[in-house]
Amino acid sequence: MRYVWGWSAMIVGIPGGLLYYRYGKLWNSFLQALGAEVVESGETTRSILNSGVSKAENESCLPVKVFYGHVLALRDKVDAIFVPRLVSVRKGTHTCPKMLGLPDLARAAVEDRIPIIAPTINFQEGMWANYKAVYSLGRLFTHNPVRIIRAGVKAWREHRLYLERLTLGLDHRSALRGEAESLLCEGRELRIAVIGHHYNVYDTFTTMSLLDRLSSMGVDVVTADMVPEEMRRQELKRLPKEIYWSYEQEIAGAILACTRHRLVDGIIFMISFPCGPDSIVRVLCEQENKRLGGVPLLALVIDEHTGEGGFLTRIEAFVDMLWRKKGERVREREAVAV
Amino acid sequence: MKISWPHMGSLEFVLSSVFEELGLDYLLPPPSSQRTLELGARYGPEFACFPLKTTLGNFIEAIEAGADTLIMVAGRGPCRFGFYAETQRRILEEAGYEFRMVPLEFEPGKIPATLRKLRELKQGRSWSSLVRAIKFALSKAYLIDRLERQALHQRYLDRERGATTKALEKCYRMVWEAGSYDALRRVESEAFDLLRSVPGVERETVKVGIVGEFYLVLEPFFNLGVEEQLGNLGAYVERNIYLTDWLRPSGKNPVAGHHDRDSEEAAQPYLTHFVGGEGLHSVGGTVLYQRHGFDGVVHIMPFTCMPETIAKSILPQVSRDLGIPVLSLVIDEMTGKAGVATRLEAFVDLARFRRRAGERGLDYSLQPAF
Repeated sequence: MRYVWGWSAMIVGIPGGLLYYRYGKLWNSFLQALGAEVVESGETTRSILNSGVSKAENESCLPVKVFYGHVLALRDKVDAIFVPRLVSVRKGTHTCPKMLGLPDLARAAVEDRIPIIAPTINFQEGMWANYKAVYSLGRLFTHNPVRIIRAGVKAWREHRLYLERLTLGLDHRSALRGEAESLLCEGRELRIAVIGHHYNVYDTFTTMSLLDRLSSMGVDVVTADMVPEEMRRQELKRLPKEIYWSYEQEIAGAILACTRHRLVDGIIFMISFPCGPDSIVRVLCEQENKRLGGVPLLALVIDEHTGEGGFLTRIEAFVDMLWRKKGERVREREAVAV
Repeated sequence: MKISWPHMGSLEFVLSSVFEELGLDYLLPPPSSQRTLELGARYGPEFACFPLKTTLGNFIEAIEAGADTLIMVAGRGPCRFGFYAETQRRILEEAGYEFRMVPLEFEPGKIPATLRKLRELKQGRSWSSLVRAIKFALSKAYLIDRLERQALHQRYLDRERGATTKALEKCYRMVWEAGSYDALRRVESEAFDLLRSVPGVERETVKVGIVGEFYLVLEPFFNLGVEEQLGNLGAYVERNIYLTDWLRPSGKNPVAGHHDRDSEEAAQPYLTHFVGGEGLHSVGGTVLYQRHGFDGVVHIMPFTCMPETIAKSILPQVSRDLGIPVLSLVIDEMTGKAGVATRLEAFVDLARFRRRAGERGLDYSLQPAF
């Protein structure tokens, strides 16, 4: 590698797009524990989206365009940008091809002006390869192996804590902070599952604060993280062909579990245009949902042109419909009781 | 049992020869047409990639024509292709068609299941005859690929437009009709003679390479005949993938899989990891074309194809660094023939001017990709 660093700490930028909405805590605390100065590009804004859209390929999906924007926002502020290559995060699965090529995309985006730190994580090749990748990442910052291992353990603990908070019903932002004024799911009457990739569900800008809006409508939100993992696994086992994308497994598992066990009153499936795996998984979920006689499912496709008005109308109509349906059911029950 | 499969370039000659050889009943789907496209787009998921829709259209038309067993190759990613069979089965079943889908998977773990499926498909024919038939069909495939390559190289010299294409079609027929290795050997020399005897003219050469997604590069109907158009515009054409690249046992994947070490190494400075499909080979192929003195590269991809989208994001950088013009054509059911023709025309002109400038030692500025 060709990084040169003097006595001052290296400034490493973490773009706040794509898998940041899952591993951001892990990356941040690992790099900080190694003594690097970490700069995050923060939340998506209009200008980040615009610069991403103007730089990225037309055919890229919305989150990749947003990611480009985050990379460009960091370009002039940091010594290096951290874009790990996650090939597989579970044995026998892959991530989306765009994640496989992400560091190369980032390199093309910054036109080779600053280095990209890109450790490769691949669970297909066994854990040892991953440990080695993390260790050699640590060697960029320190020569002390104990420090690297300690940083790794600390980061992993914080990451587990973050994921646990997500399963308890905090959204991404409050899970990062570690405190929340309110939970997504508080036992209100109507419950809606908002399921999709982390970066489609938790990015407040591209989803136009969907989670907050649902909360303010007095609706409980269930995310894929809050559906117990065992339930999701059971659902996946029932499928005739195994899904081979890691994150799609979570999504499909969560949707099917919600339908089969009637965990929710309705499901909103967040898809960004033109997400490849989602387009396939959507067919699967819609069909299985129909077959199980399941719950209403709204597939919301968002892209950079999505207007707030149309988006909100659909959400409101969906929620209204669910209320009416719920009301009918309640009335039926009361009639029987009388 | 009437077996059918989707069209993909010259695949029909290869697969049907296997079934002819075994004496099994099969049915070619009607030739791809506008209707195929419409059917596929109507039933297919909104932003699934283009080949899913076209092959879905082929399947529907095959079922309508009387096929009841559909063969499709499946896999396990990361590209969507591995999930086609399952998705199409679901869509077709929901649309009310009756059929049986036989997905064939060629990973190490799935071999026993695939062998079981093959046993059903061969309907009591012996394994050795199946192997013989496949082997024979493969030699036909190799010959077809060589003929196609010859056609690509000579089409731009045609005195009469379309003469090479006509000759090539005759060659396909001849190869398909060959019933033994002896006949195939005879056909080989006859076919090459036929192709070479197409009257030609003297012409200035401009070399254009084709890279891109496997299905779309191979399927002339859906790529709007890019190869032929380029040839007619006066370009010596080469492409980096042929049918047998996926059929022959090679590299990492012992049965089906395209593994071309040269292009992977060439892609290293730009794309360092396999991204599924031909993404890596598209980037590597472009670099190799530049090294071999080509004047331009046409990159063909279906809309929303994930690996090729990555390649497309990286190709502008390759183009800038190496000074080779790259034209990315994104094709879907909305793509019009005239638009593609205009762009190809402009592109070939540009490549020709650059070549002339280069030959005269003139300075020409590097063209960005467009």
